[in-house]
Amino acid sequence: MITSWLTRSRGIVFAIVVPIGAVVLSLITTAGILLIVGSDPIEAYGNMFDAAFSSPYAISGTLEKSVPRLLPALGIAIAIRAGLWNIGAEGQIYLGAIAATGVTIWFPGLGALGIILAILAAIFAGGLWGAIPGVLKAKKGINEVITSLMLVYIAVLLASYLISGPWSTPGATFPATDPVPSGERLPIIWSNTLLNAGFLIAVAGIGLAWLIVSRTTLGLRLRAIGGNIKASSMAGISVGRTIVIAMVISGAFSGITGAIEILGVRGRLIEGFSPGYGFEAIAIALLGGLNPLGIAAVSLLFGALDAGAAGLQTTGGDVPSSIVQVTEALAVMYVMIALGARTILIRRHRAREALAERLEAPAGEPEPGEGST
Amino acid sequence: MGSHSFITLLLVSAVAVGTPLLFAALGELISEISGVINIQLEGMMLCGAFFGVLGAYWTGGILGGFICAALGGALLALLHGVLCFVFRANQVVSGVILNIFALGVTSFLLSTVLASRVSKGITHLNRIEIPGLSSIPVIGPSFFNQDIMVYVGLLLVPVIWWMLTRTRIGLVLKAAGERPDAAESMGINIALTRWLALITCGCLAGIGGGQLAMAGIGYFTENMTAGVGFIALAAVIFGRWRAFGVLGAVLIFATADAFQIRADSIGIDIPYQFLAMLPYLITLLALAGLLKRMRPPAALATNYHPQD
Repeated sequence: MITSWLTRSRGIVFAIVVPIGAVVLSLITTAGILLIVGSDPIEAYGNMFDAAFSSPYAISGTLEKSVPRLLPALGIAIAIRAGLWNIGAEGQIYLGAIAATGVTIWFPGLGALGIILAILAAIFAGGLWGAIPGVLKAKKGINEVITSLMLVYIAVLLASYLISGPWSTPGATFPATDPVPSGERLPIIWSNTLLNAGFLIAVAGIGLAWLIVSRTTLGLRLRAIGGNIKASSMAGISVGRTIVIAMVISGAFSGITGAIEILGVRGRLIEGFSPGYGFEAIAIALLGGLNPLGIAAVSLLFGALDAGAAGLQTTGGDVPSSIVQVTEALAVMYVMIALGARTILIRRHRAREALAERLEAPAGEPEPGEGST
Repeated sequence: MGSHSFITLLLVSAVAVGTPLLFAALGELISEISGVINIQLEGMMLCGAFFGVLGAYWTGGILGGFICAALGGALLALLHGVLCFVFRANQVVSGVILNIFALGVTSFLLSTVLASRVSKGITHLNRIEIPGLSSIPVIGPSFFNQDIMVYVGLLLVPVIWWMLTRTRIGLVLKAAGERPDAAESMGINIALTRWLALITCGCLAGIGGGQLAMAGIGYFTENMTAGVGFIALAAVIFGRWRAFGVLGAVLIFATADAFQIRADSIGIDIPYQFLAMLPYLITLLALAGLLKRMRPPAALATNYHPQD
């Protein structure tokens, strides 16, 4: 039964049922873990739900926390469509943050123009950080996984140097740059809450990602090289250029995330301002089925988990918020298992059908003898 | 040790810093040669550090700690194998997810299980001085007056070199990482080979993580590996997939790291971030072809399913 459903179900049904099933299963697994360590999962989930949804303020926190997950994931999904594993989104976020901070430090007092400049600089910087592995892949065939990964730590350390060195605030209690002037902060768009204009940028990002992939020739080229590089090359697609463009777009989505975090959320560049959003985004892109709307839904869920994690401390037995990472990782693992199981079952199903066809061959032909399989 | 020169002190720190790195990188070397990449090396080390400390507490001894550290690393290797070999997941994606998983699990267990029990830390590994050799000028104190795991790590290098270049095991591993289809047709069990290489990697990375926690500070802190696993990944590349190359890369990376700790004492003022960047920068340059040509195993990070 399950086999026939898995192999015959339409792609869209599968794409919706699997992520939801995976999330439910990961929540059940997490509940089991909480039971084992002696906490009440119902109480814990109740507190999480309250912290994420119980008031406009809580909801704004959930929305705000979904932004730095959504934008990098959209970019990563575009790269994956082109067959590229951009593992370096975290570094591209850091570089975007560095660029945005730099603009506010070097060109103070520009107000709204400063915000725009900072965001453009962040897009450029993130794109540049994505271009490096792209160019190395296009020109020399070097796998983008390791190069983009190495660039993460270079960016993080560069930020750390700037924060504690040339851009440091003298006398601050922890290493940080000067606060971004209030005129250059992203405006709050929902009064008395945390929600800033970065959320609007993220919503626009959903549309832009969809447009790029589904409605442009670039999207067509991206999907073509993601499907079959050799055939694309023979069809006249400039594979190298498309690879670089895909990585630049991917990096730009992360770069703008860095700007939003600095100008909208943190108000200054600090160490560890991104607790691994870029890595989490890889999971989100996958869990969202590489589809902008799916990614938006998963980002909202992960944003809610993050916002809800704050509520865990009030749970009896003091549940640490790190359990949320476990839940997220489990959800992605379940999706991977479901996708793998589907592939295996489809292959097996086809093999069986092929065998059945051969066995039902017209009379007169010799029966397949033993040992001739 | 007050009488030692700057270079000697630098090397002493470098060998201490480099040992966790060496274990993890040697594990990754074996795994990558068989065609399996482990982005989750960091997570393996973190599990090793956590379960090492927990094991040392449970068993009351360092040996028990290291056995648990190896098992902790192997646990993550097992998950990687299930996801990639059984369910055909992309090895890179699996690695990224397992890093998040390991960070979450160890941080969660630290506050729920470990912190309340091991508060004072566990006993450290003692230094073992090798008579004679330890008095060799400059390098003696760094290589011959260290804890037992430093010696085990250094010994593993020639052993793994010999295994990879002079034995049938090495040939089988290489075949699995270069041409799994051809190897399978010659009767080599690719699945078994890769499983064993992967689990070996998990054990070694776990021991590396255990060393990080037990030889140094004697307790576990959240995300205590802080990128060591990624440097170990870099060391395999910079070491050009050879045992002695990996040792060389580890020594260079660890010396840069140790220099960052000691540069102050001789009045050199380089921001530590630039020294910490070196492993990543060097590896990037090496990959970009600015250093000697290198070629990863042809089937690295691709899963093999003979029935397809």
